Amino acid sequence: VNQGRIYTGDELEANKVVDCDVCVIGSGSGGAWLAHELVTQGLNVVMLEEGGYFTKRDFDLTESTAYPTLYQDLGNRTTEDLSISILQGRNVGGGTTVNWCSSFRTPKRILDLWRERHGVEGLDEKTLEPHFAAVERRLRIKEWPADRMNRNNQVLWDGLGKLGYARGLIKRNVHNCANIGYCGMGCPIDAKQSMGVTLIPDAVEKGLTVFANTSARTLQLDGRKATAVQCEVFDPRRDAPSGRKLTVRAKATALCCGAINSPALLLRSGVDGGGQVGKRTFLHPVVVMAAMFEEPIQAFAGAPQSVYSHHFADRGTDRMGFFIEAAPVHPMLAATALTGFGTSHQDLLEKLPFLHASIALTIDGLHPEEEGGTVELRDEGYGRIKINYPLTERHFEAFRVACKEMAKVQFAAGAKKVISLHYDPVTMTSAAEVAKLDAARWEKLRVRVMTAHQMGGCAMGKDPETSVVSSQLKVHDYDNLFVVDGSVFPTSLGVNPQETIFALARWGAQHVKAAV
Amino acid sequence: MPSVKMYLPPAGRSRRGFVKKGLFGGALLAIGGGLGFLGARNPVLVPLPREGLMTFDHLEYSVIHAIALRMIPYRTGFPAVEEVRVAFNADRVLQRADEGSRTELKRLIHLLENGVTNLLFGGRPEAFTRLSPEAQDQVLRDWQNSRLEVRRTGFQALRTLVLAAYYASPLSWKAVGYGGPPPGFHQKDAPVWKGGGVPRPAGNGVFAEGSE
Repeated sequence: VNQGRIYTGDELEANKVVDCDVCVIGSGSGGAWLAHELVTQGLNVVMLEEGGYFTKRDFDLTESTAYPTLYQDLGNRTTEDLSISILQGRNVGGGTTVNWCSSFRTPKRILDLWRERHGVEGLDEKTLEPHFAAVERRLRIKEWPADRMNRNNQVLWDGLGKLGYARGLIKRNVHNCANIGYCGMGCPIDAKQSMGVTLIPDAVEKGLTVFANTSARTLQLDGRKATAVQCEVFDPRRDAPSGRKLTVRAKATALCCGAINSPALLLRSGVDGGGQVGKRTFLHPVVVMAAMFEEPIQAFAGAPQSVYSHHFADRGTDRMGFFIEAAPVHPMLAATALTGFGTSHQDLLEKLPFLHASIALTIDGLHPEEEGGTVELRDEGYGRIKINYPLTERHFEAFRVACKEMAKVQFAAGAKKVISLHYDPVTMTSAAEVAKLDAARWEKLRVRVMTAHQMGGCAMGKDPETSVVSSQLKVHDYDNLFVVDGSVFPTSLGVNPQETIFALARWGAQHVKAAV
Repeated sequence: MPSVKMYLPPAGRSRRGFVKKGLFGGALLAIGGGLGFLGARNPVLVPLPREGLMTFDHLEYSVIHAIALRMIPYRTGFPAVEEVRVAFNADRVLQRADEGSRTELKRLIHLLENGVTNLLFGGRPEAFTRLSPEAQDQVLRDWQNSRLEVRRTGFQALRTLVLAAYYASPLSWKAVGYGGPPPGFHQKDAPVWKGGGVPRPAGNGVFAEGSE
């Protein structure tokens, strides 16, 4: 087998047309696994990635480099009204380059729900088992040892234990991890088993061709066929179009651009799935509670996430569940996430090493009333995407309960002070005061809400009236067009999504191959 | 000299919509866009950076500086906003944003500075840069807690721009007890492998059967 090649935008000096069996658009958790499976089976595969090709050489571990370089919209992706900040990767490797390594298999209840309510067929625990096993083996996914847990996670572990809440140790995709805590800025020693250092180079060794700095603008369609992908090549120095064009003519095409960019590419190409494309976008909207301790926590050091609690994941059919994890606290992210300004803000920042942060991720889309958000195109501007996500009473009920529970856990672990991330922060000095949170203003743009998980927008299902892709991940009404990423989830997951996308892509490769 | 590579406000590329939240919001932005000549009188301007400006004009630069002084007031242990060059950093980082976002942020800055809008919301008919620090704090708090979503959004955009321009700088790290990235990990000379017949170097990402 001839080795493939990773090309960056500066290497493309003229317009180019490439023919292949499969064009994989996107290089994150879905695209990398899909491309790897297809080249392993002898297919000629071209992968496109809008972001740059960055390696440990580029990862200087500063926030000022990482966010503008490795994240969507220079680290500033948000909903239209700025009510939710969206952290999402944009580089060769996608979100896996910058995520916090947490790895979970898809919960059974979610797969059951997809089957029962959304008509998804053939995607059950038994079917996925060998794929999860292969993924976990290749990416060395293992429980992070309790004795290497950082203080930030230890607080969560201790507090959960004291209250008798369910807790567990997170599995992480790392190998020879130095436990320094800079996963969000790119791993400087390739310990994180991100796609950029694992599956993509594995696939390049087997013949994969990757074009980085190459933005897929539209799909060329002819009847039931996608015939070509029209791309603009970016100049990596400016991260802007260089004027060069790349056209990829493939027998089959798979969109793996993530839950915001995949629906956007379909919409740019005139595929709206009867109005379903870009609907049911789910974000696991996150609320945060900060806690001050007497002893140093140093939440910027050590593996960012190693403890979880699913104690509140299922709150019955009428209320939105949530799961709790810890979050790393580096200066800029902390400064912008913590609320207020002036002296009170400096008071908090000055004690950064003593700050612990817990996050609650709400599990959206499980109730029929929870329709999530939308992805739409804008009339003007280059590639700008409009993301709307209405926060409803159901969200705010879950946020309020989640913040109270996190505060209780933090006090149980010894916090001296707990602070909400309301614009007008609620400050508590004992567990007896958590009821103060009931009186806070639970409205959008009055409390910080963020997300690092994007799901949905091209929902999988049986009925073309209510879904975008079939249970074989094929876009309804097309014979050779697929979506293979988190956008096919009919609901959110209730766990960190990367491992589900890995396994889904590995499983889905057979369907893409069958269309070649 | 602090790095000019910087984080953008969450306002970034997606802020466009906040100007379209109904007539009132639109009218506010029109004032910010230049119709409110009454309020634009007599701003307090600060000296320009020696390198010149890439995004802001003199007034916009001065307003960002004034906001920075309220967001990160002088305090022992915290480097001054002048030393960190917050307004300068913000100017440089906005260069990387798209034109639409830059235009909106500039309008927002003019809106905050404009005395007419300050008057409209119960404040004094004076330019923001001319108000006392206490009155500036009050204006910012009014924006932060406004019943109008458009003002709360605008506040967040300006706040994030300014705070990120300060706290992304290594100069701020000591004040917050952050030692910076641990030394010895970043490999700035590491070779970049692109395939093309070149053997893949050994590393943690390589998987060999039995290597577990």
